[in-house]
Amino acid sequence: MPILEVRELRARYTSAGPEILKGISFDVEADDFFAIIGPSGAGKSTLIRCINKLVEPSGGNVRFRGEEVTRLRGRELRGLRRNIGMIFQEFNLIDRLSVMDNVLSGRLGYTGNLRSLFRAFPRVDIERALQLLHRVGLEDHVDKRADALSGGQRQRVGIARALMQDPKMLLLDEPTSSLDPKISREIMGLIKSMAQEYGVPCLCNIHDVALAMEFCNRIIGLQDGVKMFDGPAELMDRTKLGEIYAMEVL
Amino acid sequence: MPLVHETAFAIQLDHENLRRARGPETAEMNAPSNGAGTDAGATSAATAATADRLLADRRRRRVGRLVIATVLVAAVVWSVDVTIVQDTDWKRMGSLANVLEAAGEFVGVDWGLFPDLAKPALETFMIACLGTLLGVLVCIPVAWFGALNITPFKPVTYPLARLMMTLSRSIHEIVWALFFVAVVGLGAMAGIFALAMRSIGFIAKMSAEAIEDIDPGPVEAIRAVGGNGFQVLIYAILPQVLPQILGVVVFEWEINIRRSAVLGLVGAGGLGLVFFRQMNTFNFPGVTTVLLAILGIILIGEVVSHFARKAAI
Repeated sequence: MPILEVRELRARYTSAGPEILKGISFDVEADDFFAIIGPSGAGKSTLIRCINKLVEPSGGNVRFRGEEVTRLRGRELRGLRRNIGMIFQEFNLIDRLSVMDNVLSGRLGYTGNLRSLFRAFPRVDIERALQLLHRVGLEDHVDKRADALSGGQRQRVGIARALMQDPKMLLLDEPTSSLDPKISREIMGLIKSMAQEYGVPCLCNIHDVALAMEFCNRIIGLQDGVKMFDGPAELMDRTKLGEIYAMEVL
Repeated sequence: MPLVHETAFAIQLDHENLRRARGPETAEMNAPSNGAGTDAGATSAATAATADRLLADRRRRRVGRLVIATVLVAAVVWSVDVTIVQDTDWKRMGSLANVLEAAGEFVGVDWGLFPDLAKPALETFMIACLGTLLGVLVCIPVAWFGALNITPFKPVTYPLARLMMTLSRSIHEIVWALFFVAVVGLGAMAGIFALAMRSIGFIAKMSAEAIEDIDPGPVEAIRAVGGNGFQVLIYAILPQVLPQILGVVVFEWEINIRRSAVLGLVGAGGLGLVFFRQMNTFNFPGVTTVLLAILGIILIGEVVSHFARKAAI
């Protein structure tokens, strides 16, 4: 059974505005590293934000582990979100907090208001954060402020924060677009190997087609809110890329 | 073809404008190179017409300026006549010597007054501190309501907060103090309330603007991990705005020291009350002494504020 089922998903930002997603359907399996490719403005970011309802879909269904999520609100919605880790293009770290506090913020969905206010996370959380920071190679930067790190290091903090949630799935929104090609490959490799270790499927927005074909096992191509391709990465070829990017890239 | 023709025409027009802008000298310098005498004649006729237009323009503007200047001078003269010439008690003022003599009475320091100043000075200082603190507490909901991106119910809470900010700033601290003296009676508490009310406007406005300018990325990240509204506030918003807000609060505290020094004039405690008493008993050196004390604590406030704001950033 797929972990995520998306059916006829539609989205628009204002009721009168243009439709960003025009009926997208796909399934993510429990061991997928699933890529969404397409040109800028195709609706990739909107699509990924509809999964955890950072953007409210205007139609269609999203089922996560068999549970319909489009109707969730309040506490139930926060319960869904803490099961879905997210990694961002601009890292979205809290600059003035330490690396440790940033990673611990991944536990906020499990933490009460009073503990949050005093940053009084339990010992197990701190130990888990230390393990994750060790795993992403930042064990020497635990007490540094997040804004003192380089781009690649900041994204490593982002990865640790997402896995801190103990997620059942990861959403990756252009995780390497702010990084240079060498670091991009390292970061994608790290995400992929950690996703396998922790047994977490990934749904990844990416516009770098070469990276997508190297790291992902399934690809869908979006163009202007419409799905243009859906299949295993090996079946992706120049003709189909040309269609998706409408001669823009190749 | 018509397109090309139009472009050529536009370029020609441009040349004409250029020649006008450069003025007669350039036009004359260009004329011989064209090699046609008639062209030079046409150019000088055009130059003369432009010069006529410019001269007329400048004459009109000169008249306009003269009218404005006359009105301004008349307004100043009228104001001086009403507020100074007619309103001053010239007989009481006497000669220049009398004026200097009256001013001279303030020279000198009443050293005997100093021991009596310690307590009011401390009171002034504490009124400023507590007033600022109370103001900051009230500011929390006002800034929250007044920041467009986080205001809980825009049609009601946003205008409410904006009204509060405007009300706070448009009423002078002395007027606030008079109001609170009437409400809670004479003493330091009226001063504390007055300063709190007066501080809300500036602190809340600056804080709300800082909140509106935050990077939305961390907000999205905390929502994505399943954080609630309170956690978004504590983790994503506050760390981004805290240094700015602390700077504003320290700045306001420094201003509040100045304000609290005069609040005693209307009975709201502190050095102002001593000042008032010295003035009423015609102890002018005493007035100077109080002024020195006020200067002293303001200087202390400025020094502390300088270092505190540096530390906040």
